[in-house]
Amino acid sequence: MKLAVFVSDFRNTVDTLDRLKAEKLGIIFVQNGVYHAAVKEKGKASPVLNAPADFYVLSDDLDTRGLGNADLADKVKIISYSDIVDLIFNEYEKTAWL
Amino acid sequence: MATTKLGFIVQRAGYKSENPKLAITHAISSQSVEIYLNDGDLVTADIAFVGDGVLNCIKNQKAMEKYGLSSTESHIKNSLLLDLNVMVCKEDLARFVLTEKDIVIDAAEFGAEMTAKVVPFSEITKMMEEMKHLLFF
Amino acid sequence: MGKLTIGCFSSLVGSMSLDFAVKLASAAIEKGHKVDFWVSGNGTMLSIKAQRAFKDYSFLEKSVKELMSKGMQITACEACAEARGYHKDETMEGFKRHSMDWYLASIFDADRVLHIGGE
Repeated sequence: MKLAVFVSDFRNTVDTLDRLKAEKLGIIFVQNGVYHAAVKEKGKASPVLNAPADFYVLSDDLDTRGLGNADLADKVKIISYSDIVDLIFNEYEKTAWL
Repeated sequence: MATTKLGFIVQRAGYKSENPKLAITHAISSQSVEIYLNDGDLVTADIAFVGDGVLNCIKNQKAMEKYGLSSTESHIKNSLLLDLNVMVCKEDLARFVLTEKDIVIDAAEFGAEMTAKVVPFSEITKMMEEMKHLLFF
Repeated sequence: MGKLTIGCFSSLVGSMSLDFAVKLASAAIEKGHKVDFWVSGNGTMLSIKAQRAFKDYSFLEKSVKELMSKGMQITACEACAEARGYHKDETMEGFKRHSMDWYLASIFDADRVLHIGGE
């Protein structure tokens, strides 16, 4: 399956996310999930970024939290709401909100 | 005639969160959705308890006695009575040192023939692949 | 163009998940997609009319009305609303109230579903 997973929390979602298997996996960081894309806890990037996935982060939610391009892991692409619509209609078949 | 298959994935413990109960009641509503659909069209609902969500399945819940609220256990039994496919993650039960004896497996007292299935997460993944849409609670 | 059904179970005030869902609905409609929107559980708070805008709280009544005027169907779980004391006469004009099977019926022919669980 082609699955787009919305990660909306910084904590408590890794367990489910670790076990999701998909032929094509997209991880879209939104709300407090954006910290996975931009914060290095004890100097280390979030383990979520080790998943075999394409990574996206919602621009509005980064900006809201005072985060920006300079904070972002290289593999994460900044996207808009409009981009999310295109992703879920054109790139993925199913969604999951964690 | 068409069938849309939905997977309801319950990953949180109940009571403090309304989510698990709403997952089950929404899944149960697949039994009455035909009034909105054309003849022969169907919506089916499979329910899977994973992670902390398996704690919803512990039996002998006393929510009615203690708070006057229907228990998550009773909702699971209603699901079985309505022949919904209910799956419980085997690895997560083991993580909490729970076995089939500790959880709601059947609703024989209501005459339900369907039983809950304790399955490895790989089976739940397979179910998710077969569904058209997924709803995580 | 496709149909997107969004379900959101989070409250209007407190998590910003409804803000996300409404903005996503708006973006989808701008692109020509049809959007159905279901609120259940604490999400039914969104259906109440005459919300007062304060800058410390999410305020979505205006956005929802605009989206309804552009064709978005939005429905609240009637039992969830009644349980919280949100009655029909306090519901925003155009905001429907039905039982949970409305949501599943909308999903039946949706091309995509985004289900946002509650807290």
